[in-house]
Amino acid sequence: MPGAAREEGIAMSEEIKVDLELDLKGLLCPLPMVKVSQNIGNVPVGGVIRAVATDPGSMADIPAWAKSTGNEVLSAEKQGNEFVFLVKRVK
Amino acid sequence: MDAHTIETIAGVIDKKMTRQLKQYLDVCARCAICKDACHQYVGTGDFKYLPARRAELIRHVYKKYFDSAGRFVPALYEARDPDDNLLDELYESCYACTGCRRCMYYCPFSIDTQWIVAVGKAILIAAGRGQEMLGQLADAAIFKGENVEMFRDVLVSGFKDIEAEVREITGDPEATIPVDKHGADILYVALAGAHSIRPAAVIFHEAKVDWTISLFEAANYGYFFGDAEKAKLIAKRFMEEAKRLGVKEVVVPECGHAYRVADIFYEAWTQEELPFKVSHILEVVDRFIKEGRITVEKGRIQGRVTYHDPCQIARNGGIFEQPRDVVKALTDDFVDLVPNRAEQWCCGGGGGIVAIEEMRDVRLKSGSKKVEQLRASGASVLACPCENCRLQIEDLNQLHGLGLQVRQVIDLVVEAMPLPGNTAPRA
Repeated sequence: MPGAAREEGIAMSEEIKVDLELDLKGLLCPLPMVKVSQNIGNVPVGGVIRAVATDPGSMADIPAWAKSTGNEVLSAEKQGNEFVFLVKRVK
Repeated sequence: MDAHTIETIAGVIDKKMTRQLKQYLDVCARCAICKDACHQYVGTGDFKYLPARRAELIRHVYKKYFDSAGRFVPALYEARDPDDNLLDELYESCYACTGCRRCMYYCPFSIDTQWIVAVGKAILIAAGRGQEMLGQLADAAIFKGENVEMFRDVLVSGFKDIEAEVREITGDPEATIPVDKHGADILYVALAGAHSIRPAAVIFHEAKVDWTISLFEAANYGYFFGDAEKAKLIAKRFMEEAKRLGVKEVVVPECGHAYRVADIFYEAWTQEELPFKVSHILEVVDRFIKEGRITVEKGRIQGRVTYHDPCQIARNGGIFEQPRDVVKALTDDFVDLVPNRAEQWCCGGGGGIVAIEEMRDVRLKSGSKKVEQLRASGASVLACPCENCRLQIEDLNQLHGLGLQVRQVIDLVVEAMPLPGNTAPRA
Protein backbone atom coordinates (compact mmCIF):
# COMPACT_ATOMS: atom_id res chain seq x y z
CA MET A 1 0.00 0.00 0.00
CA PRO A 2 1.61 3.25 -1.10
CA GLY A 3 1.64 6.67 0.51
CA ALA A 4 0.75 7.98 3.91
CA ALA A 5 -1.47 5.15 5.03
CA ARG A 6 1.26 2.60 4.36
CA GLU A 7 3.96 4.61 6.11
CA GLU A 8 2.00 5.33 9.22
CA GLY A 9 -0.47 2.50 9.39
CA ILE A 10 0.08 -1.03 10.52
CA ALA A 11 -0.55 -4.19 8.58
CA MET A 12 -4.15 -5.31 8.58
CA SER A 13 -4.51 -8.02 11.16
CA GLU A 14 -7.12 -10.56 12.08
CA GLU A 15 -6.47 -9.60 15.71
CA ILE A 16 -7.88 -6.08 15.40
CA LYS A 17 -11.39 -6.02 16.81
CA VAL A 18 -13.77 -4.30 14.44
CA ASP A 19 -16.65 -2.42 16.09
CA LEU A 20 -18.50 -1.40 12.95
CA GLU A 21 -18.51 -2.60 9.36
CA LEU A 22 -19.32 -0.07 6.61
CA ASP A 23 -20.15 -1.17 3.09
CA LEU A 24 -19.27 1.84 0.94
CA LYS A 25 -19.08 -0.02 -2.34
CA GLY A 26 -20.43 1.94 -5.29
CA LEU A 27 -20.30 5.29 -3.47
CA LEU A 28 -18.40 8.00 -5.29
CA CYS A 29 -15.95 10.32 -3.53
CA PRO A 30 -16.28 12.13 -1.24
CA LEU A 31 -19.18 10.01 0.02
CA PRO A 32 -16.98 7.20 1.43
CA MET A 33 -15.19 9.82 3.56
CA VAL A 34 -18.54 11.37 4.52
CA LYS A 35 -19.93 8.00 5.64
CA VAL A 36 -16.84 7.21 7.73
CA SER A 37 -17.08 10.63 9.35
CA GLN A 38 -20.79 10.25 10.03
CA ASN A 39 -20.23 6.86 11.65
CA ILE A 40 -17.08 7.50 13.67
CA GLY A 41 -19.24 8.69 16.55
CA ASN A 42 -21.03 5.33 16.53
CA VAL A 43 -17.95 3.52 17.84
CA PRO A 44 -16.36 4.18 21.24
CA VAL A 45 -13.05 6.05 21.57
CA GLY A 46 -10.44 3.44 20.65
CA GLY A 47 -13.01 1.59 18.55
CA VAL A 48 -12.40 0.60 14.94
CA ILE A 49 -14.45 0.94 11.76
CA ARG A 50 -13.78 -1.44 8.87
CA ALA A 51 -14.87 0.28 5.67
CA VAL A 52 -14.89 -1.20 2.17
CA ALA A 53 -15.04 1.25 -0.75
CA THR A 54 -14.65 0.89 -4.51
CA ASP A 55 -13.79 4.47 -5.46
CA PRO A 56 -9.97 4.81 -5.70
CA GLY A 57 -10.24 8.42 -4.55
CA SER A 58 -11.02 7.08 -1.09
CA MET A 59 -7.38 5.98 -0.76
CA ALA A 60 -6.39 9.63 -0.39
CA ASP A 61 -9.66 11.02 0.98
CA ILE A 62 -10.07 8.81 4.05
CA PRO A 63 -6.45 9.11 5.29
CA ALA A 64 -6.62 12.90 4.72
CA TRP A 65 -9.89 13.11 6.66
CA ALA A 66 -8.36 11.04 9.49
CA LYS A 67 -5.27 13.25 9.65
CA SER A 68 -7.25 16.47 9.68
CA THR A 69 -9.72 15.26 12.33
CA GLY A 70 -7.15 13.59 14.61
CA ASN A 71 -8.32 10.03 13.99
CA GLU A 72 -6.13 7.19 12.74
CA VAL A 73 -6.12 4.97 9.69
CA LEU A 74 -4.66 1.69 10.95
CA SER A 75 -4.50 0.27 7.45
CA ALA A 76 -5.65 1.05 3.93
CA GLU A 77 -5.27 -1.74 1.41
CA LYS A 78 -6.31 -2.42 -2.14
CA GLN A 79 -7.85 -5.87 -2.39
CA GLY A 80 -8.77 -6.59 -5.98
CA ASN A 81 -11.17 -3.84 -6.98
CA GLU A 82 -11.94 -2.87 -3.40
CA PHE A 83 -10.24 -0.53 -0.95
CA VAL A 84 -10.38 -1.74 2.63
CA PHE A 85 -9.78 0.63 5.56
CA LEU A 86 -9.44 0.11 9.29
CA VAL A 87 -10.12 3.45 10.94
CA LYS A 88 -9.62 3.97 14.68
CA ARG A 89 -11.53 6.59 16.60
CA VAL A 90 -8.92 8.47 18.60
CA LYS A 91 -11.02 11.15 20.29
CA MET B 1 -23.54 33.81 24.68
CA ASP B 2 -20.38 35.46 26.04
CA ALA B 3 -19.39 39.04 25.25
CA HIS B 4 -16.33 37.97 23.26
CA THR B 5 -18.39 35.84 20.85
CA ILE B 6 -20.93 38.62 20.39
CA GLU B 7 -18.11 41.05 19.67
CA THR B 8 -16.63 38.58 17.14
CA ILE B 9 -19.97 38.18 15.40
CA ALA B 10 -20.48 41.94 15.26
CA GLY B 11 -17.01 42.23 13.74
CA VAL B 12 -17.91 39.69 11.06
CA ILE B 13 -21.07 41.59 10.17
CA ASP B 14 -19.20 44.88 10.07
CA LYS B 15 -16.59 43.38 7.73
CA LYS B 16 -18.95 41.45 5.45
CA MET B 17 -21.81 43.92 5.17
CA THR B 18 -20.92 45.87 2.07
CA ARG B 19 -22.96 48.78 0.76
CA GLN B 20 -24.65 46.48 -1.73
CA LEU B 21 -25.62 43.98 0.96
CA LYS B 22 -26.99 46.76 3.16
CA GLN B 23 -29.03 47.90 0.21
CA TYR B 24 -30.41 44.39 -0.24
CA LEU B 25 -31.55 44.36 3.38
CA ASP B 26 -33.08 47.81 3.03
CA VAL B 27 -34.95 47.38 -0.24
CA CYS B 28 -36.57 44.01 0.40
CA ALA B 29 -40.29 44.84 0.26
CA ARG B 30 -41.33 41.44 1.71
CA CYS B 31 -43.38 40.98 -1.45
CA ALA B 32 -42.76 37.24 -1.15
CA ILE B 33 -42.37 36.70 -4.87
CA CYS B 34 -39.36 34.65 -3.80
CA LYS B 35 -41.62 32.11 -2.12
CA ASP B 36 -42.83 30.84 -5.49
CA ALA B 37 -39.30 30.82 -6.89
CA CYS B 38 -37.64 28.84 -4.11
CA HIS B 39 -37.74 25.04 -4.62
CA GLN B 40 -37.15 24.59 -0.90
CA TYR B 41 -40.06 26.73 0.23
CA VAL B 42 -42.33 25.27 -2.48
CA GLY B 43 -41.33 21.73 -1.49
CA THR B 44 -41.63 22.14 2.27
CA GLY B 45 -43.99 25.08 2.84
CA ASP B 46 -41.78 25.88 5.81
CA PHE B 47 -41.39 29.59 6.60
CA LYS B 48 -37.76 29.20 7.66
CA TYR B 49 -36.79 28.33 4.10
CA LEU B 50 -38.40 31.42 2.60
CA PRO B 51 -35.59 33.43 0.96
CA ALA B 52 -36.81 36.71 2.47
CA ARG B 53 -36.76 35.04 5.89
CA ARG B 54 -33.12 34.06 5.45
CA ALA B 55 -32.31 37.75 4.91
CA GLU B 56 -34.56 38.75 7.80
CA LEU B 57 -32.40 36.85 10.31
CA ILE B 58 -29.30 38.73 9.22
CA ARG B 59 -31.23 41.98 9.28
CA HIS B 60 -32.22 41.41 12.94
CA VAL B 61 -28.58 41.13 14.03
CA TYR B 62 -27.37 43.91 11.76
CA LYS B 63 -29.93 46.30 13.21
CA LYS B 64 -28.94 45.46 16.76
CA TYR B 65 -25.34 46.56 16.24
CA PHE B 66 -25.17 48.88 13.27
CA ASP B 67 -28.49 50.69 13.05
CA SER B 68 -29.06 53.52 15.52
CA ALA B 69 -32.83 52.94 15.77
CA GLY B 70 -32.35 49.21 16.28
CA ARG B 71 -29.62 49.80 18.83
CA PHE B 72 -31.70 52.08 21.05
CA VAL B 73 -35.20 50.64 20.53
CA PRO B 74 -34.52 47.06 19.54
CA ALA B 75 -38.05 45.76 20.19
CA LEU B 76 -39.58 48.33 17.87
CA TYR B 77 -37.16 47.68 15.04
CA GLU B 78 -36.93 43.90 15.38
CA ALA B 79 -33.29 44.07 16.37
CA ARG B 80 -32.04 40.88 18.03
CA ASP B 81 -28.92 39.63 19.73
CA PRO B 82 -27.36 36.64 18.02
CA ASP B 83 -28.45 34.32 20.83
CA ASP B 84 -28.57 30.53 20.57
CA ASN B 85 -32.13 30.58 19.23
CA LEU B 86 -31.19 32.94 16.43
CA LEU B 87 -28.09 30.91 15.62
CA ASP B 88 -30.20 27.73 15.49
CA GLU B 89 -32.54 29.40 13.00
CA LEU B 90 -29.62 30.78 11.05
CA TYR B 91 -27.98 27.35 10.86
CA GLU B 92 -31.05 25.66 9.41
CA SER B 93 -31.77 28.53 7.10
CA CYS B 94 -28.25 29.06 5.73
CA TYR B 95 -26.89 25.52 5.44
CA ALA B 96 -30.13 24.28 3.86
CA CYS B 97 -29.94 26.97 1.17
CA THR B 98 -28.55 25.46 -2.04
CA GLY B 99 -27.36 28.83 -3.32
CA CYS B 100 -29.27 28.34 -6.57
CA ARG B 101 -30.20 32.06 -6.81
CA ARG B 102 -33.54 31.33 -8.46
CA CYS B 103 -35.05 33.74 -5.91
CA MET B 104 -32.68 36.43 -7.16
CA TYR B 105 -33.74 35.79 -10.75
CA TYR B 106 -37.39 36.46 -9.89
CA CYS B 107 -36.87 39.16 -7.21
CA PRO B 108 -37.95 42.61 -8.51
CA PHE B 109 -34.82 44.05 -6.82
CA SER B 110 -32.51 41.14 -7.73
CA ILE B 111 -31.68 40.59 -4.08
CA ASP B 112 -28.86 38.05 -3.92
CA THR B 113 -29.95 35.73 -1.13
CA GLN B 114 -26.91 33.52 -1.61
CA TRP B 115 -24.67 36.46 -0.79
CA ILE B 116 -26.74 37.20 2.29
CA VAL B 117 -26.56 33.53 3.28
CA ALA B 118 -22.76 33.77 2.97
CA VAL B 119 -22.84 36.40 5.75
CA GLY B 120 -25.02 34.04 7.80
CA LYS B 121 -22.48 31.22 7.39
CA ALA B 122 -19.65 33.59 8.36
CA ILE B 123 -21.58 34.49 11.54
CA LEU B 124 -22.10 30.80 12.33
CA ILE B 125 -18.42 29.99 11.78
CA ALA B 126 -17.40 32.91 14.02
CA ALA B 127 -19.73 31.53 16.71
CA GLY B 128 -18.24 28.04 16.36
CA ARG B 129 -21.46 26.79 14.74
CA GLY B 130 -20.24 26.10 11.19
CA GLN B 131 -21.56 22.88 9.64
CA GLU B 132 -19.22 20.17 10.94
CA MET B 133 -19.20 17.79 7.97
CA LEU B 134 -18.57 20.52 5.41
CA GLY B 135 -15.78 21.86 7.63
CA GLN B 136 -14.21 18.40 7.82
CA LEU B 137 -14.38 17.93 4.06
CA ALA B 138 -12.76 21.33 3.55
CA ASP B 139 -10.01 20.59 6.08
CA ALA B 140 -9.28 17.20 4.50
CA ALA B 141 -8.89 18.88 1.09
CA ILE B 142 -6.56 21.51 2.56
CA PHE B 143 -4.54 18.78 4.30
CA LYS B 144 -4.15 16.95 0.99
CA GLY B 145 -3.04 20.19 -0.65
CA GLU B 146 -0.43 20.88 2.01
CA ASN B 147 0.88 17.32 1.97
CA VAL B 148 0.65 16.37 -1.68
CA GLU B 149 3.82 14.26 -1.60
CA MET B 150 2.24 12.09 1.08
CA PHE B 151 -0.55 11.18 -1.33
CA ARG B 152 1.28 11.22 -4.66
CA ASP B 153 1.88 7.44 -4.82
CA VAL B 154 -1.73 6.65 -3.96
CA LEU B 155 -3.04 9.08 -6.56
CA VAL B 156 -0.68 8.00 -9.33
CA SER B 157 -1.45 4.35 -8.59
CA GLY B 158 -5.17 5.18 -8.96
CA PHE B 159 -4.50 6.97 -12.27
CA LYS B 160 -2.63 3.87 -13.55
CA ASP B 161 -5.65 1.67 -12.80
CA ILE B 162 -7.91 4.06 -14.72
CA GLU B 163 -5.35 4.26 -17.52
CA ALA B 164 -5.69 0.51 -18.03
CA GLU B 165 -9.45 0.98 -18.49
CA VAL B 166 -8.88 3.86 -20.92
CA ARG B 167 -6.61 1.59 -22.99
CA GLU B 168 -9.30 -1.06 -23.03
CA ILE B 169 -12.03 1.40 -24.09
CA THR B 170 -9.97 3.15 -26.77
CA GLY B 171 -8.22 -0.01 -27.95
CA ASP B 172 -4.95 1.91 -27.79
CA PRO B 173 -2.30 0.23 -25.61
CA GLU B 174 -0.36 3.51 -25.59
CA ALA B 175 -3.19 5.65 -24.14
CA THR B 176 -2.02 7.46 -21.03
CA ILE B 177 -3.17 9.65 -18.19
CA PRO B 178 -0.25 12.09 -18.04
CA VAL B 179 0.74 13.44 -14.61
CA ASP B 180 2.84 16.56 -14.00
CA LYS B 181 3.36 17.18 -17.71
CA HIS B 182 5.02 20.57 -18.13
CA GLY B 183 3.86 22.65 -21.05
CA ALA B 184 0.67 20.64 -21.67
CA ASP B 185 -2.17 22.59 -23.25
CA ILE B 186 -4.79 21.48 -20.72
CA LEU B 187 -4.72 20.73 -16.99
CA TYR B 188 -7.78 18.65 -16.17
CA VAL B 189 -8.83 19.01 -12.53
CA ALA B 190 -11.13 16.07 -11.89
CA LEU B 191 -13.22 15.06 -8.92
CA ALA B 192 -11.72 12.57 -6.48
CA GLY B 193 -13.52 9.60 -8.05
CA ALA B 194 -12.52 7.57 -11.11
CA HIS B 195 -15.87 8.32 -12.76
CA SER B 196 -14.87 11.89 -13.59
CA ILE B 197 -11.40 10.89 -14.85
CA ARG B 198 -12.06 7.86 -17.08
CA PRO B 199 -14.46 9.37 -19.65
CA ALA B 200 -12.52 12.64 -19.79
CA ALA B 201 -9.30 10.71 -20.41
CA VAL B 202 -10.98 8.80 -23.25
CA ILE B 203 -12.22 12.04 -24.83
CA PHE B 204 -8.86 13.81 -24.47
CA HIS B 205 -7.12 10.78 -25.97
CA GLU B 206 -9.48 10.59 -28.94
CA ALA B 207 -9.24 14.37 -29.52
CA LYS B 208 -5.45 14.02 -29.45
CA VAL B 209 -5.15 16.68 -26.81
CA ASP B 210 -1.89 17.51 -25.09
CA TRP B 211 -3.17 17.28 -21.52
CA THR B 212 -2.19 16.41 -17.98
CA ILE B 213 -4.18 15.55 -14.91
CA SER B 214 -4.15 17.48 -11.65
CA LEU B 215 -3.13 15.87 -8.39
CA PHE B 216 -5.98 17.78 -6.75
CA GLU B 217 -9.73 17.57 -6.99
CA ALA B 218 -11.92 20.44 -8.14
CA ALA B 219 -14.65 20.09 -5.49
CA ASN B 220 -14.52 22.88 -2.93
CA TYR B 221 -16.20 22.22 0.40
CA GLY B 222 -14.62 25.36 1.83
CA TYR B 223 -17.03 27.26 -0.41
CA PHE B 224 -20.02 25.27 0.83
CA PHE B 225 -18.83 25.60 4.44
CA GLY B 226 -18.83 29.37 4.01
CA ASP B 227 -15.18 30.11 4.73
CA ALA B 228 -13.71 32.14 1.88
CA GLU B 229 -10.15 31.63 3.12
CA LYS B 230 -10.51 27.85 3.10
CA ALA B 231 -12.22 27.99 -0.28
CA LYS B 232 -9.37 30.06 -1.67
CA LEU B 233 -6.74 27.64 -0.29
CA ILE B 234 -8.54 24.65 -1.85
CA ALA B 235 -8.74 26.25 -5.29
CA LYS B 236 -5.23 27.65 -4.99
CA ARG B 237 -3.84 24.08 -4.97
CA PHE B 238 -4.62 23.49 -8.63
CA MET B 239 -4.27 27.11 -9.75
CA GLU B 240 -0.65 27.08 -8.54
CA GLU B 241 -0.16 23.67 -10.15
CA ALA B 242 -1.45 25.08 -13.46
CA LYS B 243 0.97 27.98 -13.22
CA ARG B 244 3.86 25.67 -12.38
CA LEU B 245 3.10 23.43 -15.36
CA GLY B 246 2.58 26.37 -17.69
CA VAL B 247 -0.71 25.11 -19.15
CA LYS B 248 -2.91 27.20 -21.42
CA GLU B 249 -6.26 26.05 -20.07
CA VAL B 250 -7.61 24.64 -16.81
CA VAL B 251 -10.60 22.38 -17.38
CA VAL B 252 -12.94 21.59 -14.51
CA PRO B 253 -15.18 18.52 -14.47
CA GLU B 254 -18.96 18.07 -14.32
CA CYS B 255 -19.29 19.79 -10.97
CA GLY B 256 -21.31 22.99 -10.68
CA HIS B 257 -19.73 24.83 -7.78
CA ALA B 258 -16.22 23.80 -8.84
CA TYR B 259 -16.77 25.58 -12.13
CA ARG B 260 -18.12 28.71 -10.51
CA VAL B 261 -15.31 28.86 -7.95
CA ALA B 262 -12.60 28.30 -10.56
CA ASP B 263 -13.92 30.48 -13.36
CA ILE B 264 -15.77 33.23 -11.54
CA PHE B 265 -14.77 33.56 -7.90
CA TYR B 266 -11.06 32.74 -7.78
CA GLU B 267 -9.79 35.84 -9.57
CA ALA B 268 -12.14 38.02 -7.55
CA TRP B 269 -10.99 36.47 -4.27
CA THR B 270 -7.28 36.70 -5.06
CA GLN B 271 -7.32 39.90 -7.16
CA GLU B 272 -4.99 38.02 -9.45
CA GLU B 273 -5.30 37.70 -13.21
CA LEU B 274 -4.73 34.06 -14.12
CA PRO B 275 -2.36 33.39 -17.05
CA PHE B 276 -4.67 30.71 -18.49
CA LYS B 277 -8.33 30.32 -19.27
CA VAL B 278 -10.71 28.24 -17.16
CA SER B 279 -13.31 26.10 -18.92
CA HIS B 280 -16.00 23.63 -18.02
CA ILE B 281 -15.42 20.18 -19.52
CA LEU B 282 -18.60 20.46 -21.60
CA GLU B 283 -17.44 23.70 -23.21
CA VAL B 284 -14.36 21.76 -24.28
CA VAL B 285 -16.27 18.68 -25.44
CA ASP B 286 -18.66 20.90 -27.43
CA ARG B 287 -15.62 22.45 -29.09
CA PHE B 288 -14.16 19.02 -29.93
CA ILE B 289 -17.44 17.85 -31.51
CA LYS B 290 -17.90 21.02 -33.55
CA GLU B 291 -14.28 20.96 -34.73
CA GLY B 292 -14.63 17.28 -35.70
CA ARG B 293 -11.91 16.24 -33.27
CA ILE B 294 -14.06 13.50 -31.77
CA THR B 295 -16.72 11.39 -33.45
CA VAL B 296 -20.07 10.71 -31.84
CA GLU B 297 -22.88 8.71 -33.39
CA LYS B 298 -26.59 9.10 -32.82
CA GLY B 299 -28.53 5.95 -32.07
CA ARG B 300 -26.16 4.57 -29.45
CA ILE B 301 -28.04 6.25 -26.58
CA GLN B 302 -31.41 4.56 -26.22
CA GLY B 303 -34.54 6.38 -25.05
CA ARG B 304 -35.64 10.00 -24.78
CA VAL B 305 -32.95 12.22 -23.28
CA THR B 306 -33.45 15.38 -21.26
CA TYR B 307 -31.01 17.81 -19.67
CA HIS B 308 -30.89 19.43 -16.23
CA ASP B 309 -29.19 22.84 -15.96
CA PRO B 310 -27.14 22.78 -12.75
CA CYS B 311 -27.63 26.17 -11.09
CA GLN B 312 -23.92 26.96 -10.71
CA ILE B 313 -23.17 26.19 -14.34
CA ALA B 314 -26.26 27.69 -15.93
CA ARG B 315 -28.12 30.44 -14.05
CA ASN B 316 -24.98 31.40 -12.09
CA GLY B 317 -22.34 30.43 -14.63
CA GLY B 318 -23.90 31.43 -17.94
CA ILE B 319 -23.37 28.07 -19.67
CA PHE B 320 -26.69 27.11 -21.27
CA GLU B 321 -26.19 26.07 -24.87
CA GLN B 322 -22.91 24.14 -25.09
CA PRO B 323 -24.09 21.21 -22.92
CA ARG B 324 -27.38 21.09 -24.90
CA ASP B 325 -25.44 21.08 -28.15
CA VAL B 326 -23.35 18.17 -26.85
CA VAL B 327 -26.43 16.18 -25.83
CA LYS B 328 -28.23 16.96 -29.10
CA ALA B 329 -25.21 15.63 -30.98
CA LEU B 330 -25.80 12.27 -29.31
CA THR B 331 -29.52 11.79 -29.95
CA ASP B 332 -32.44 12.87 -32.10
CA ASP B 333 -34.81 12.26 -29.20
CA PHE B 334 -34.01 15.24 -26.96
CA VAL B 335 -36.58 17.11 -24.91
CA ASP B 336 -35.93 20.09 -22.66
CA LEU B 337 -37.32 20.30 -19.16
CA VAL B 338 -39.87 23.06 -18.61
CA PRO B 339 -38.89 25.62 -17.44
CA ASN B 340 -35.25 25.53 -18.43
CA ARG B 341 -32.02 27.51 -18.72
CA ALA B 342 -32.06 30.54 -16.36
CA GLU B 343 -35.51 29.57 -15.07
CA GLN B 344 -34.61 25.94 -14.43
CA TRP B 345 -35.72 24.60 -11.04
CA CYS B 346 -32.93 23.75 -8.62
CA CYS B 347 -32.89 19.98 -7.95
CA GLY B 348 -32.40 20.66 -4.22
CA GLY B 349 -28.98 19.03 -3.91
CA GLY B 350 -26.62 22.00 -4.13
CA GLY B 351 -24.74 24.01 -1.53
CA GLY B 352 -23.23 20.93 0.12
CA ILE B 353 -26.59 19.75 1.46
CA VAL B 354 -26.08 16.25 0.02
CA ALA B 355 -23.32 15.80 2.61
CA ILE B 356 -25.50 16.97 5.52
CA GLU B 357 -27.35 13.91 6.78
CA GLU B 358 -29.55 15.85 9.23
CA MET B 359 -31.00 17.80 6.28
CA ARG B 360 -31.87 14.75 4.19
CA ASP B 361 -35.60 15.17 4.76
CA VAL B 362 -35.77 18.81 3.65
CA ARG B 363 -33.48 18.01 0.74
CA LEU B 364 -35.75 15.29 -0.60
CA LYS B 365 -38.91 17.34 -0.07
CA SER B 366 -37.35 20.27 -1.86
CA GLY B 367 -36.93 18.16 -4.99
CA SER B 368 -40.67 18.09 -5.66
CA LYS B 369 -40.58 20.54 -8.58
CA LYS B 370 -37.72 18.64 -10.18
CA VAL B 371 -39.71 15.41 -9.91
CA GLU B 372 -42.68 17.13 -11.61
CA GLN B 373 -40.46 18.40 -14.42
CA LEU B 374 -38.81 15.03 -14.99
CA ARG B 375 -42.12 13.18 -15.05
CA ALA B 376 -43.60 15.68 -17.52
CA SER B 377 -40.62 15.32 -19.87
CA GLY B 378 -41.29 11.66 -20.57
CA ALA B 379 -37.53 11.12 -20.71
CA SER B 380 -35.84 7.92 -19.64
CA VAL B 381 -32.31 9.37 -19.61
CA LEU B 382 -31.24 12.49 -17.74
CA ALA B 383 -27.99 14.14 -18.79
CA CYS B 384 -26.73 16.05 -15.78
CA PRO B 385 -23.32 17.72 -15.57
CA CYS B 386 -23.05 18.19 -11.79
CA GLU B 387 -22.12 15.66 -9.13
CA ASN B 388 -24.33 17.09 -6.38
CA CYS B 389 -27.31 17.32 -8.74
CA ARG B 390 -26.81 13.70 -9.80
CA LEU B 391 -26.66 12.50 -6.20
CA GLN B 392 -29.86 14.36 -5.38
CA ILE B 393 -31.74 13.35 -8.53
CA GLU B 394 -30.70 9.72 -8.12
CA ASP B 395 -32.21 9.83 -4.61
CA LEU B 396 -35.39 11.39 -6.05
CA ASN B 397 -35.35 8.77 -8.81
CA GLN B 398 -35.33 5.97 -6.23
CA LEU B 399 -37.81 7.63 -3.88
CA HIS B 400 -40.39 8.44 -6.57
CA GLY B 401 -39.77 5.46 -8.87
CA LEU B 402 -39.01 7.67 -11.86
CA GLY B 403 -37.19 4.91 -13.72
CA LEU B 404 -34.58 7.34 -15.01
CA GLN B 405 -30.98 6.74 -15.95
CA VAL B 406 -29.18 9.68 -14.31
CA ARG B 407 -26.01 10.11 -16.32
CA GLN B 408 -22.89 12.23 -16.42
CA VAL B 409 -22.82 13.92 -19.85
CA ILE B 410 -19.25 12.83 -20.66
CA ASP B 411 -20.27 9.22 -19.98
CA LEU B 412 -22.98 9.58 -22.61
CA VAL B 413 -20.45 11.14 -24.98
CA VAL B 414 -18.06 8.21 -24.59
CA GLU B 415 -20.96 5.79 -25.01
CA ALA B 416 -21.80 7.47 -28.32
CA MET B 417 -18.24 7.22 -29.61
CA PRO B 418 -17.40 4.34 -31.96
CA LEU B 419 -14.63 2.83 -29.86
CA PRO B 420 -13.37 -0.77 -29.77
CA GLY B 421 -13.95 -1.25 -26.05
CA ASN B 422 -17.21 0.61 -25.76
CA THR B 423 -19.37 -1.60 -23.67
CA ALA B 424 -21.89 -1.11 -20.90
CA PRO B 425 -21.74 1.97 -18.65
CA ARG B 426 -19.15 1.74 -15.89
CA ALA B 427 -19.66 2.74 -12.27
